[in-house]
Amino acid sequence: MGARIFPAVAAALLAASALAGRAAAQERVFVRPEPGTPVVAVQVLVGVGPVDEAPEQAGISYLAARSVVEPARPALDSLGAHLDVDQRRDAIAFTLTAAPDAWAEATRVLMLALFRDPVDSAAVVRTRTALARELAAREASPADALEREVSKAVYGADHPWGRPAVGTATSVRAIRVSMVDAFLRQNFTPERSVVAVVGPVDETEAREELAPHMPAGELHTDSVPPPAPADAPVEAEYNSITTWVSATWRFGTDSDVEALRMLAQLALDRVSFGPSRRSVYNSRAEVVQYAGGGEVRMTIVVPPREAEQWAGQLREAVGGYAAEPLPPAVFQERLRRFRGERLLELDLPEQRAAAMARSALLGDRTATLVDFTRLTPQRLQAAARDLENPIIVFLGPAGSQGGGTH
Amino acid sequence: MLTLSLALALAAAPPDTARAAQPVRAQGAPALTVHNQPALPVVALRMSIVADDPPGYAGAGHFFQHLLLPGLEEQVARVGGHVQAIRGSDAVVYTVVGPASELDYLAGILRGALRVPTQPGTAAMLQSLGALSDERATERETAPAYVRAALRGRLFPADLPAAGTDDAAARLQTASLPDVWARVYAPDRVSIVAVGDVSLDAVERAFRSIPPASGDGAPTEAVDDTLPAFEADTPQATRGWIAQAWRADSADAAAMSVTARLLRSYLRRRMTRSNVEVEHWWTHHGQALALVVATPDSLVRAARGTVGGALTAFRPTVNDDGVRAAARALRREMLFYSRTPERMAELLGEFADRGAGRDGAQRYYAALDAVTQDDVRRVLDQLAAAEPATVFVPPQRIPPEQRR
Repeated sequence: MGARIFPAVAAALLAASALAGRAAAQERVFVRPEPGTPVVAVQVLVGVGPVDEAPEQAGISYLAARSVVEPARPALDSLGAHLDVDQRRDAIAFTLTAAPDAWAEATRVLMLALFRDPVDSAAVVRTRTALARELAAREASPADALEREVSKAVYGADHPWGRPAVGTATSVRAIRVSMVDAFLRQNFTPERSVVAVVGPVDETEAREELAPHMPAGELHTDSVPPPAPADAPVEAEYNSITTWVSATWRFGTDSDVEALRMLAQLALDRVSFGPSRRSVYNSRAEVVQYAGGGEVRMTIVVPPREAEQWAGQLREAVGGYAAEPLPPAVFQERLRRFRGERLLELDLPEQRAAAMARSALLGDRTATLVDFTRLTPQRLQAAARDLENPIIVFLGPAGSQGGGTH
Repeated sequence: MLTLSLALALAAAPPDTARAAQPVRAQGAPALTVHNQPALPVVALRMSIVADDPPGYAGAGHFFQHLLLPGLEEQVARVGGHVQAIRGSDAVVYTVVGPASELDYLAGILRGALRVPTQPGTAAMLQSLGALSDERATERETAPAYVRAALRGRLFPADLPAAGTDDAAARLQTASLPDVWARVYAPDRVSIVAVGDVSLDAVERAFRSIPPASGDGAPTEAVDDTLPAFEADTPQATRGWIAQAWRADSADAAAMSVTARLLRSYLRRRMTRSNVEVEHWWTHHGQALALVVATPDSLVRAARGTVGGALTAFRPTVNDDGVRAAARALRREMLFYSRTPERMAELLGEFADRGAGRDGAQRYYAALDAVTQDDVRRVLDQLAAAEPATVFVPPQRIPPEQRR
């Protein structure tokens, strides 16, 4: 059964690419008709982030994004539509989910708010207050503290991506309404955006709905300055009884990202809690891709006295796969699991819309959803070999681990 | 017990394929419903055993789930999938989700859950009984869960908690588990709902043979389950909890849902300092409308008055515009909820398990669109004619001498 159905898997995924490929004529709008899906998910990915911000205005992108859609929320609520706003380093994602009979109207409301309506000053003030409060509360959390330290270590303190993508409570409080208005006019434009639509829609009709808001043309993207990563492990002090150890491998444009995703999953298995790893309290792996490359990042939480040793284990967990290809039977077993996990990452229509939009933002004109059908032991090994030394960050009580200070 | 205000959904389109339950059951195979969703090569398989726990063994179905779950999780993880085990008021339910290419493998895991259980080791037995014990305690520990459980106990005395009772747990510890299982499981109680990139033929092949019944299912002893009185376990709460529910088994289900939604909006407008939930409960035991309000100490008296007169005061406010808006909102919530194969399978399966038929979800979805203000008023009349069940948890008061 598996052997018979597997080509169907590949075919389904390629079909998605082909459909999106036809959309490439309009360059920035991608539609994936899915007749059996009960809702329509739309992601508008606006390529705006810290690179566009002055250091003293850190967080203005996110503040502007939340402010500009705030007046539209009652209209969206009345349509039963759900809207999420998420700031990444290189873009802001507006994700809309709506019933088939409401998606077009809800999308129109969102697009007008984003690209036509002036920002409402009262909405900016309300959003600024709420956002500053949220950020102040988050600043004490270890996850946020780690994210800040890792960003600084991987990109450099003066790099736009070295500071929090959503800004800080202090920086957000200092942003005035007039700055938000100017920022929106300059940066929130259709030319810097891609749109992905997934669900029970007719492709032609969906394009007609979006055409007034998304004039044809090439995608305009930012150029990102080169990073200045830390050249030694970074030790950051944090008042806790455990230590967070993070290892980040940067990769370039030509890297095999799908193989890296599988590698990260396999490596995570080697450092996660288990009978022989009882001191690992938590573990996580993620692969993020940006224009020009991306990061493989692994994080574990361990007792402070073991932090240095676990940093070595993280290096080995990834590096071990570079030595030789996995035996075919072992590889197939691992691939079987990886394939399932990757597919289930996409089981929400909004996740599929997000994957398509991101792929398109990165220049993949076919907006491919996943690409694991041709993974091999050799590809996995090559991906591991391509990774150089990781940037290590320790976050925990003072003096409990090796490395320099930050 | 399904709470329609929380757990809704289904596709706008009817299932592409469905097999009549009876003919398939006659051949010893489960009833199958397949909803083809080609969007992603994933499948969700929901298997339900529509059965109450045997008398004297309340919680047995859920106990078996606790015994099996660790093994199921390990097996499903091999293909990157996940598994869920739920004991509802209508059925013992297992759901697995994974790649559609692993349909046979996933189906095999579910079929395995139907086999006669072997007597577990002491550790597994104690772990499962401990999990049930924790769930029983949790149900009475906090006010939100307590008031709902107490209302359910009064309106539907036959609907025992999924986690059972202490006495039943003690009997399970020494019982012959194959004998207890024989009284829970029979092939004709099994329904499968498959949602995803799979065909009816493939699902039918995957479930062609399921284990036969392992006995005649006849009770070997006559024992009653006795639920401990709720009054002895009243939880501590910082606000007053007022809960009232009316049973209306014959009411139109779609109209009940719309009534619950409208009444919730009405009461939320009137009780702005209180948390108000109005829920439509619907299982094979019957239907009810439940009103749960949490309110500050200073407003308890007024809130009790408002809740007591809620149906009467609400009735004149019902109009067609409001009914249409509420029905539309419910339909959209259903679609939003069911946007993954797993949730779609859950929705389709829950309607079937409670006896609404294998196309019950679709009929309910269509019926929502046809609800009128007269239908809502009819429901209100049915509720008003019923004897309400009432539960009250007073707010905790710290004696002045204990205050600092």
